[in-house]
Amino acid sequence: MIDHFTITVDGKPVAAKPGETVVRACEREGIHIPTLCDDKRLDPAGACRACLVEVDGQRRLQPSCAWKATPGQVVKTHVTSPRVQRHQDVLVSLYMADHKLDAEGLPVETENRNELRRWALDTNPIALESVEAPRVARAGDTNPYIQYNPELCILCARCTRYCDEIEAVNAITLTHRGSETTIGTAGMRGLLETSCELCGGCIDTCPTGALIEKKAIGILPQQIERKVRTTCNYCGVGCQMDLNVAKVDGVEKVVRVTSPPPGETVNDGNLCIKGRFAYDFIHHKDRITEPMIRKADGKLHAVSWDEALKFAAEGMKRVAQRHGPESMGFISSARCTGEENFLMSKVARAAFKSGNVHSCAAT
Amino acid sequence: MKSFGAGVMSNSIPEIRDLDFMFVIGSNTTEAHPIIAMEMKVARQRGARLIVADPRKIWLTEYADLHLQLKPGTDVWLVNAMMKAIIDEGLVDQKFIDTHTEGWPELKANLAKFNLTDAERITGVPAAHIKAAAVEYAKTRKAAIYYTLGITEHAHGTDNIFSLANLVMMTGHLGVPFGGLNSLRGQNNVQGATDAGATPLYYTGFQPAGDPAIRAKFEAAWKTELTAGVGKNLNEIMKGVEDGSVKALYVMGEDILISEPNTNHLEHGVKELEFLIHQDIFMNETTKHAHVVFPGANFAEKDGVFTNTDRRVQRVRKAVNPPGNARPDWQILADFARAAGYAMPHYKDAGEIYAEIASLAPRYAGISHDRLDETPMGIQWPCPAPDHPGTQYMHKDGPVKGKGTFIVTNFRPPVELPDKDYPFNLATGRVLYHYNAGTQTRRDSGTMAKVGECFIEVHAEDAKQLGVNDGDMVKVVSRRGGIKAKVWVSGRVQKGCVWMPLHFTEAAINKLTIDVGDPLAGTAEYKVCAVNLIPLRERAAAQAEAELQAVRHPQA
Repeated sequence: MIDHFTITVDGKPVAAKPGETVVRACEREGIHIPTLCDDKRLDPAGACRACLVEVDGQRRLQPSCAWKATPGQVVKTHVTSPRVQRHQDVLVSLYMADHKLDAEGLPVETENRNELRRWALDTNPIALESVEAPRVARAGDTNPYIQYNPELCILCARCTRYCDEIEAVNAITLTHRGSETTIGTAGMRGLLETSCELCGGCIDTCPTGALIEKKAIGILPQQIERKVRTTCNYCGVGCQMDLNVAKVDGVEKVVRVTSPPPGETVNDGNLCIKGRFAYDFIHHKDRITEPMIRKADGKLHAVSWDEALKFAAEGMKRVAQRHGPESMGFISSARCTGEENFLMSKVARAAFKSGNVHSCAAT
Repeated sequence: MKSFGAGVMSNSIPEIRDLDFMFVIGSNTTEAHPIIAMEMKVARQRGARLIVADPRKIWLTEYADLHLQLKPGTDVWLVNAMMKAIIDEGLVDQKFIDTHTEGWPELKANLAKFNLTDAERITGVPAAHIKAAAVEYAKTRKAAIYYTLGITEHAHGTDNIFSLANLVMMTGHLGVPFGGLNSLRGQNNVQGATDAGATPLYYTGFQPAGDPAIRAKFEAAWKTELTAGVGKNLNEIMKGVEDGSVKALYVMGEDILISEPNTNHLEHGVKELEFLIHQDIFMNETTKHAHVVFPGANFAEKDGVFTNTDRRVQRVRKAVNPPGNARPDWQILADFARAAGYAMPHYKDAGEIYAEIASLAPRYAGISHDRLDETPMGIQWPCPAPDHPGTQYMHKDGPVKGKGTFIVTNFRPPVELPDKDYPFNLATGRVLYHYNAGTQTRRDSGTMAKVGECFIEVHAEDAKQLGVNDGDMVKVVSRRGGIKAKVWVSGRVQKGCVWMPLHFTEAAINKLTIDVGDPLAGTAEYKVCAVNLIPLRERAAAQAEAELQAVRHPQA
């Protein structure tokens, strides 16, 4: 079985694997083909028509997201094909006629991202009359995390396919007919009353910001100072996530958590409700902010680090001297880092000569 | 691990989607490891077969081809009967057994008594289903087993694991990609904590604490004399607190009064401690008794590594500053050690600490913060050298300990079985929407909107007999204590069984559970204990509800 062959894209040789689609092969070579309904985690839908290319021997333009590469195939994208360019100009205009536009007539910026806006900037859209589709959102959906903005939806069905193929709960679906088609649930109930697990994968995959996180409404991408790639602190899967940091009242805070791109990390860009949304604890008002010691009045009092450390060291040493290292216990934490667990074992063994060190790892 | 050396996930998460057969036992994967469950569901949609063994009709059973709904605590019987069926069908991998294992004749002889008829009677699973699961597992090449606390949190937890290890070895599903025995670890860094040496049995990197040569190595590195032998494990330390032999505790990042079993008894011991240091991000039950409270940092406020369930070492990176005077926990520990008179190095960052770990533990020798920063997928240990790619699956050239050992296991009933006074079998577990003691997830609106209070799953017939309806309050009592919970009449539990989540402080479920530990691992029997349910009359119910509300909304 051959494991690689070559196709030609815009006159250049591109390596492809058997069974691979044209868009995946191009992506690896850094050739940009616009897509809206494509997500490499999902089966190709070929629905949005943004990725159409000319394929030698084919009368019609073909969707590169679903079209399999074959040895020797000759493909032309918008870079070399005027026909594809014309197609894109018209298609982007049709999408824009049914989309919220800003003062400059471009698809609006959204909290998530808007690939339609980016595409409009790369093409030459024709101004068409707005159609104002009667698409509706679910009235009275009180779920606290996921917001659906029907005026930004292009019905690419990435969210519903994600909900079916990856999360496999089928909470949302394309519903209604014709121009009223929208993203709905059974009986148009709120997400809390459906099988939805609030994983937020629909927000992650949505290309136009029609789905956004309620907790982060109003925070546009340009307000994010940096995204910090880290490991989730909940279960043992080790999902990678990006902490989005922005200034809130002059203080840097984690204002949102987003997925890394699919294919890069162990979680393939997926997160669950806890990883994606349960980050309010980070800056919670109940956080302990000062070292404290219990004084003669039986109450805890905030003190300086020096005082707290001295008090703690003396207290532990007193017990060690009186009762020996066997009377000490050092409980480390599976919530803390490897380095911290290492140091706890070193504190127990080296500083207090005690082997009584364990983490909640046992349970 | 005694069977083939390493109680971790032998294989990798990215292999799951290409499996042909998955056997999930004692793991509520969709709720405890949602992203691994997603991979299982993707495999399922691709055509892989899924068999789930669990006393409850957990979510994952909706995607399963077969659900083996065994009676609680009968795992050893189920797995041994599967092995017996595999022998009877002539499906053992004799070549693997001959090349890589020892103890087969003894195991085979012992299995003779685990026939399918008795298995059905004891486990409650139809014999045909046990046989079908066994045969399919043995016949499928790309077949893997996943388990978690439903297997380990029993007084016979190690027997359960040995049984599964026997099953894996006898069918040759070890040392190959798309196979293995995979323990799904429950917490972000539960693997890393043990790896790092926060265990009485091992120094950093699973180097036996009882080995004088290892101790000498650490004495040289740490420039001090160290105590010989192994110390007390968590269960023993907690027993020591209860009986007064442990006088001082340094507790980091855990609420022992919520998380440890039989907390009524423990609380008394904690009050009597001569000295208690508690280091955490929130005040909790343990803080109330602390002599010193150190404010730590959460994962978004510090650097370091977590090691996930498939041995993947990955970076934790600081995004924001800790609040007020809170500090990264590694700084606190180093400062404390120096205050106590030990010459802990002045580490300039967590990377320097990791370098010390790598210098002491051969299996992490090839890992560094710099290398991890260039590796978005993380590095799976063992990784003995900087040019080593890490290890996707273990035991490639035979079990790491040399020969895999078949360990004979026999059925031991749970420590506490239901009786006339305590007629229900209580199991505890997690729900998707919360995490452990809930200190983080109960501070978020959506997770609370999904599951906002403590509940108890009760079978419809039991509910009828008790005269309680969905939403009624009951008092759940065991021989050790009692707590209140709202009844959820549920099709998930078997008749005679009840189930509760462990996340709700005000209902502190571990007031009920037993602190009898597994003799080898010291893991407590959280999964099986006997309770009674006492319906609360209307007024009492209203009062209980008011109390719950008061705890949940203290300002109101």
